[in-house]
Amino acid sequence: MDKAPSMVIEVTVISAEGLLVNRRQPVKKNAYVVVRSDPFNSRSTGIDPQGGSCPSWNEKLVMDMPMHARFITVEAHSGNKTIGSANIPVTEFSGGCLPENYLSFLSYRLRDANGEKNGIVNFSVKARGGKSCCSSSCARPWIGFPAENKASNGIVMGIPVLYS
Amino acid sequence: MGNCCSDDAGGRSAVGGSTSSAANPTNDAVDAFLRSRGYNGLFSQIELSLSATNLRDLDVLSKSDPMAVIYLKGIDGLLQELGRTEVVLNSLNPKWIQKHIVTYQFEIVQTLVFRVYDVDTQFHNVDVKALKLDEQQFLGEASCSLSQIVTKSNKTLTLDLRWKEIRSPTHEQRFGQLTIYAEEIVASKTTTELKLRCSDLESKDLFSKSDPFLVLSKITESGVAVPICKTEVLYNDHNPKWKPIFLSIQQVGSKDSPLTIECFNYNSNGKHDLLGKVQKSLAELEKLHSVDTGENLFISVSVGQNHQNKVIKSQLFVDKYSENIRHTFLDYLVGGFELNFMVAIDFTASNGNPRLPDSLHYIDPSGRPNAYQRAISEVGGVLQFYDSDKKFPAWGFGARPIDGPVSHCFNLNGSSHHCEVEGIHGIMTAYTSALFNVSLAGPTLFGHVVTRAAQIASESVANSEKKYFILLIITDGVITDLQETKDALVMASDLPLSILIVGVGGADFKEMEILDADKGERLESSSGRVASRDIVQFVPFRDIQGGEISVTQSLLAELPTQFLKYMRARGITPNT
Repeated sequence: MDKAPSMVIEVTVISAEGLLVNRRQPVKKNAYVVVRSDPFNSRSTGIDPQGGSCPSWNEKLVMDMPMHARFITVEAHSGNKTIGSANIPVTEFSGGCLPENYLSFLSYRLRDANGEKNGIVNFSVKARGGKSCCSSSCARPWIGFPAENKASNGIVMGIPVLYS
Repeated sequence: MGNCCSDDAGGRSAVGGSTSSAANPTNDAVDAFLRSRGYNGLFSQIELSLSATNLRDLDVLSKSDPMAVIYLKGIDGLLQELGRTEVVLNSLNPKWIQKHIVTYQFEIVQTLVFRVYDVDTQFHNVDVKALKLDEQQFLGEASCSLSQIVTKSNKTLTLDLRWKEIRSPTHEQRFGQLTIYAEEIVASKTTTELKLRCSDLESKDLFSKSDPFLVLSKITESGVAVPICKTEVLYNDHNPKWKPIFLSIQQVGSKDSPLTIECFNYNSNGKHDLLGKVQKSLAELEKLHSVDTGENLFISVSVGQNHQNKVIKSQLFVDKYSENIRHTFLDYLVGGFELNFMVAIDFTASNGNPRLPDSLHYIDPSGRPNAYQRAISEVGGVLQFYDSDKKFPAWGFGARPIDGPVSHCFNLNGSSHHCEVEGIHGIMTAYTSALFNVSLAGPTLFGHVVTRAAQIASESVANSEKKYFILLIITDGVITDLQETKDALVMASDLPLSILIVGVGGADFKEMEILDADKGERLESSSGRVASRDIVQFVPFRDIQGGEISVTQSLLAELPTQFLKYMRARGITPNT
């Protein structure tokens, strides 16, 4: 199998704030964060035994990310439970107008499985060896839609297309 | 000692040893005094040293005996004397020893005036403070702003001394020159980080374990202990580990001055029980850290008349001891960092027809500036000193340029390619000409302007320039594109950019307050991203009118902190 072209990202998980379990109780201890760059590729921080609902890790996770990836996922866990997650578009830290190897400091709102707000996670990302387009032309990323061939329930979705 | 620990509600948090307080290198007393006078924000103490060369010789048989007097020029033009140097005898090239400490404030233009006098021999036994200056012979005068000195890389500024009475060019050269050297007081920059913990504390609570916290006090020369910081309270913990505390050398006096570290059991009634104490200087604490052993606490017990120190089994450990120099805002300026000023002006129709006197854009033929002009000249007047090329991008929004649809970010100078204008004067000219060349429209959208500014900032980052950008938006109304503006702001929060918003006119500015995150929650974009720092400062113009603090001051007060937060988070040092 051919290996898909990939780039290396360094995600430094700094801290989180206001993490809750079951919507109400603040997390007591041992929260940790998992970062996923694709379904089969993830890295996890250690647990923070002291931080409670505002844990801090300051842990650098180095991982591969496929070139075609559109999102990375950051999940906060407590015990064996995922208590909140956020999808971070790759454009936030790579490509676009950002210079190569730029250290982006990002904070994201976490949401639980029901979509309820659950805390904020703070982290920084640096994309290495990424093919960053030159800063002068901020090209619009190519948007692809998966062709669904099974679920055909008669509805056709129209997508506006830019043309010049 | 009971005094410093008698907590009110909420007194369980750490005080005095936090990073934020250590970041503001100021004397608490001076700080409190300045606040009471209506000054707030970031101030640094600057020590000025003066010297002069080639002064005029006014004495017949000997040389001049010069003395320098430093004044601060107020907004009303009045001079306030800050101090006098000593009199140097018989010298035309004096170097004065007496230093003067001036409080540097970023947000106002502090104009300093220096006057040099020749003090006649008959006055030499008189205290310099008691000298009547009009009886002395005037040698010359020089003036500059404090920011001019501190932004120089060698912190030295040489000025020509002038004398108002004589204008003839032949005399000009003989008045000599005055050199001013400015230095920020050094002790304020060194910060010590301490991580303390205790072991085997005693139980003082009836049903649970003790709730310990530490109080650090310095012992003054007179033997009185002055508390300088305390840690947070940890509950039911006999082996507590407190969060790191940050002490500046200025807070403790010196590295070798003794500190009392007391461990108390927290009681909500304010009567905290002493669990034990130690007396150590910072140097001794450093040693304790390096050998990694604990120090036993002791308690004072009175045996009859005598006080004895009884050593107990509880121990104090220093888990971390590190000293570092925290760079101040001024360090970055001296290191070549610049603040780049950008301005965006609201041209929406709600301002009223600019040709009518009740319009916010009305240009008064008598020359009285309108609210927009006032905001530009006040904020720009401060910021232009930090921008070396004085080329300012200037935009307008919410209007229809001569031939085109409504634009939410058009160049004020009418050019289609470059948005920069020369100096504050250039902004004013571009603004007045734009008033005649566009027709006011709407709605009020900030998103375009913020995105444009963010683009410039990110291009500068890509070219690794030492620049920090400040966008001033002057508007008369509430924005329509709240979510787009939020998205743009959240995106910009990761860039070297701060945004100042001035609201003019009588509109309801509630929405703007939401953007200014220090009044509420952190900004959140529609994609769920949260602003990594606060970059917006909003001030309604009417709040300040008539008040003591000028618009500029309250606007710019947060700027150095926002700047430092950006630099420190990225580990950018002034010399990189």
